[in-house]
Order: sequence, then structure tokens, then C-alpha cells
Amino acid sequence: MNFSGWVFLTVSWGIIIGLASLCFIKVFSKKEVK
Amino acid sequence: MKQGKKRDNWGSRLGIIMAVAGSAIGLGNFLRFPAKAATNGGGAFMIPYFVSLFLLGIPLMWIEWTLGRYGGGFEHGTAPGIFHSIWQKNRFIKYFGVIGIFGPLVIFIYYTFIESWTLAYSFFALTGNYSAITEQSAMQGFLRGFQGLEHNQYFNGLGTAYIFFLITFALNIWVIYYGIKGGIEKLCKWAMPLLFVFGLILLFRVVTLGTPDLSRPELNISNGFGFLWNPDFSALKSARVWLEAAGQIFFTLSVGIGVILTYASYLSKGDDVVLSGLTAASTNEVAEVILGGSIIIPAAFVFFGQADLQAIARSGVFNLGFVTMPLVLNKLPLAAILGFFWFFLLFLAGITSSVSLAQPAIAFLEDEFDINRKKAVSIFGVVSFLLCQPAIFFLGRGVVDELDFWGGTFFLVLFATIETVLFVWVFGMDNAWDEIHKGADMRIPKVYKFIIKYITPLFLFIILGMWFWQEWLPIIFMKNISCADRPFIVATRIGLAVIFLTLAALVRIAWRKKKLQGEKIR
Repeated sequence: MNFSGWVFLTVSWGIIIGLASLCFIKVFSKKEVK
Repeated sequence: MKQGKKRDNWGSRLGIIMAVAGSAIGLGNFLRFPAKAATNGGGAFMIPYFVSLFLLGIPLMWIEWTLGRYGGGFEHGTAPGIFHSIWQKNRFIKYFGVIGIFGPLVIFIYYTFIESWTLAYSFFALTGNYSAITEQSAMQGFLRGFQGLEHNQYFNGLGTAYIFFLITFALNIWVIYYGIKGGIEKLCKWAMPLLFVFGLILLFRVVTLGTPDLSRPELNISNGFGFLWNPDFSALKSARVWLEAAGQIFFTLSVGIGVILTYASYLSKGDDVVLSGLTAASTNEVAEVILGGSIIIPAAFVFFGQADLQAIARSGVFNLGFVTMPLVLNKLPLAAILGFFWFFLLFLAGITSSVSLAQPAIAFLEDEFDINRKKAVSIFGVVSFLLCQPAIFFLGRGVVDELDFWGGTFFLVLFATIETVLFVWVFGMDNAWDEIHKGADMRIPKVYKFIIKYITPLFLFIILGMWFWQEWLPIIFMKNISCADRPFIVATRIGLAVIFLTLAALVRIAWRKKKLQGEKIR
């Protein structure tokens, strides 16, 4: 894989893991639905 | 629905997030996404993909969650009632909502059959039915024999496939029978984590493949990832690549089907939809980009090389999943276990989607006809079982492709466009914005008010127009259908029209019945 490939993989994974982590942290810190 | 009758509800917030994510995570995450990315610019594909995610997918997700919760407040769990609640003065709008029951029903009737292949192959992996096969053509023959498309040394008819279909269908009905909290939520709360565990094990195995054939050092796992991720920026100049990315986002998030409307209708008025919707969407993205993008294409590259893989990726997603992947896994130690993980992962992705596809029709019977769940599931079970049969017995005649076009593509985009226009322009953007934020655990950035009002509908109209002109017209006019298959395609279309008109008639009957009973329909 060339350098640009690594950049695209890292940025894409970063965006997705970052978004999912933030969401789940927020979900578990908030109230539950009944 | 009569006053005082209690609708089903979710047991926990995590439950609905897992259920919506389960509905979205399907076979496409593991088969369609990597094939599309690899053949449409590699890493560069992620630019239009993320643009579509943030401008089309996530806004649509929020729209559907909000519409569903709003309609649930009036005891409507499906689009006819929800659309009516939004635009009470228009007596025709409920008929546009029929698409929200028709689409998932049509997808259900072929999806369950495909899902049953994954269950069968999970079994075959453990019993070693295909373990001796080492050639693409032989594995293709195994699949075709199993599907009943040819008689060969592996299968002598459709019998085995039909038994697995019956098991899969019964499992679906069993889960649905126990309702939202007791069936779907329970399933998704264990199936989703298990799917991720299987996916991570396979990802680890693929990443540690190294260079299996030392005489061909270029076939290594780094180059395998490179095949998928090395960007080809020239692809970005092609409108087709942008449309493919938008289409992938559309299909992967399960928006425009009607399922999210129904799931969200079981929320209470004060329950958050912003954070929950975003969490479900991001869970789907983890499964698609991280797991889906790291298993099949890099692994297949290592064993087959670039030229063969390009041909395989273009030959269709079923070849990737049911022909290429078993061949790859057969070359590894513990092939039976890894094969089981792969196909059972697909089965879990499938069943969490198919139960969601059944729910709108059942909710419609429960909410609009006051039928109890047991009876509604029985009616759905009998009707959908009969409707599944043409997809099984005429697979080779293009019936599944036809059902997928109308139920899983055409009406999907049309439905998303209708619901977006209704939400933004009829309900009004200010009302919509307030409704989205009721009980919200986070605020949506204000720029999304502009995006949801202008960009998302514009995006949808462009997709609708371009697809209609470039791809759909030849399908509608049966340009690439052989003369021998045309009667089957015409019969499928007549069948679909009958289903649609029957559902429209049922909507009319339900509304008339309520009117006669003096119920105020809101």
C-alpha cells in the first residue's frame, strides 16, 4: 500500500472510530429510555 | 387504534440502537461496500462516501427517527399513518405511505432466501461440504447446485436450500412473534456484539496473513489493503463514482425503506433521537468500513492477485461472498472454523435485517386494524411465505433481481424523497427542527438546518433523476432481459402491482373503518 493509501485508511478509520466512540460514550453517560 | 390499547415499546436505549444498527448492517456491508470501493477509485472513493454520509445518510437517519417517533405519538407505526399525521388535510398522502410497507415486504421475500444461504454455508463450513474445492469454477458449481440452478455432483436439486430456507424463515417468524422488546431487541442485543466478535477475529486473521506464497512476494497483505485503499483521484471526475458512493450510503443505512420509521414509533415522545440515530449510523459505519473493508478484498488479493480480483469484484457480490471467500478460507489452517465465522457473521447481519423488514407490515396490521400481535404475525407468516416461493423457484429467471430493483432500489429512493419533502416542506423546517430536538441528548450543528432543508432534498432529486435516466430506464424497459425470461419478469411486475394495490386497499379500508367507528384519525 502506498503512502496515500495509508493516509486514506487512517483518516477514514479515524473519523469512524472517533464518531462511534464519542456517540457510545455519550449514550452510556446519559439516561436510559424506559 | 382504540384508546387505551398499549403499543409495544423498547426495553432500553441500547436495545433500539442495536436494533437499528442491526437493521442497517447487512450482507452489503461485508460484500457490496468493499467491491464498490475497490472498483471506484479505492481510497478516493471515501471522499464522495463521507460527503454522502454527512449530507445524505445522517440527515435522512434523523428525519426517519423523528418522523417515526412523531407518528408513534399518534399510535401510527407505519408510513401511511405517519404521513397522514404530518399532513392531515391531504387525504391522498396516506397512499404514498404504502411504499413504506410495500418496500420492506418485497425485500423480505427475497432477502430471507439469500439469508438462508449464509446459514447453510455456516453448516457446510463445519461439515466440510466444500472443503475439498480449490477452483473458482468448481466453487461456482457448488453454489449453483445449491441454488438449484443446475444438477451436479454437489447437489441434486433445490431440496437442501429449501430446508435451510424453512429454518431461516421459521427463525424470523419466531423472533418477530415475541415482539419488539421480547424478540427483536433481545436478538439484536446478543447478535450485534457476536457479529463484531466474529468480524474482529476474521480481521485479525486477514491482517496476519503476511505473504502466504513466498514465490510471489507482491501478493502480500499490505498490497491487499493497498488494492482497496490506494486512491485513484481520477475516479473523482466521474459522476458515476459519486453516484455509486451516494447509493452505497443510501443502502447501507437502511434509510428510505420504512423500517426506521416503524422502529422509532415505539419510542416515547421524550426519548432522544439525535444521539441514538447518530450512534446507530456510526455503528453501521464501523461494521462497513473497518470490518467490511478489511476482510474479503485484502484476503482475496493475497491469494488471487490483482487481475483475478478485479474480475471477481466486477462479477457480483455473491461471487465474492460465496465463491471467493470460501476458497480463500480453505487455504488457511482452521478453515472450517473461519468459514463458520464468516458465514455465521453474514447470517447474523442478515437476520437482524430481515426481522426489521417484517416489522412494518406487522405494525400496520396491529396499529391500523387493531389485530393482536399473535394474529398479525400469523397473517404475515402465511402471506410472506407464499410470496417467497417465486424468488426461490425462479431465481435463475431474474425474479430476485427484479424484486430487488423495485423493492430495494426504485421505491427506496422515491420513498426517501417523499418523506424528506414532507418533513421539511410540509411539516415545516422550524417545526421539524424543534421536533428533532425534543428530548435530544445533543444539539445538531445549526448548519444541518440548511443541509436538511436544501442539500439533502437536492441530493435526493439528483440521485433520483440520474439513476432514472442512466440506469433505471433500461431496466424498466427490460433492455437486458432475454426473451425466455421476460414472461417471468412481467409476471413478477404484475405480482408486485397486486401487492401494492392490496396494501393501498387495506389502507383505505382501515381509514374507512375508523371513520365509521367515529375515531378521529390524527
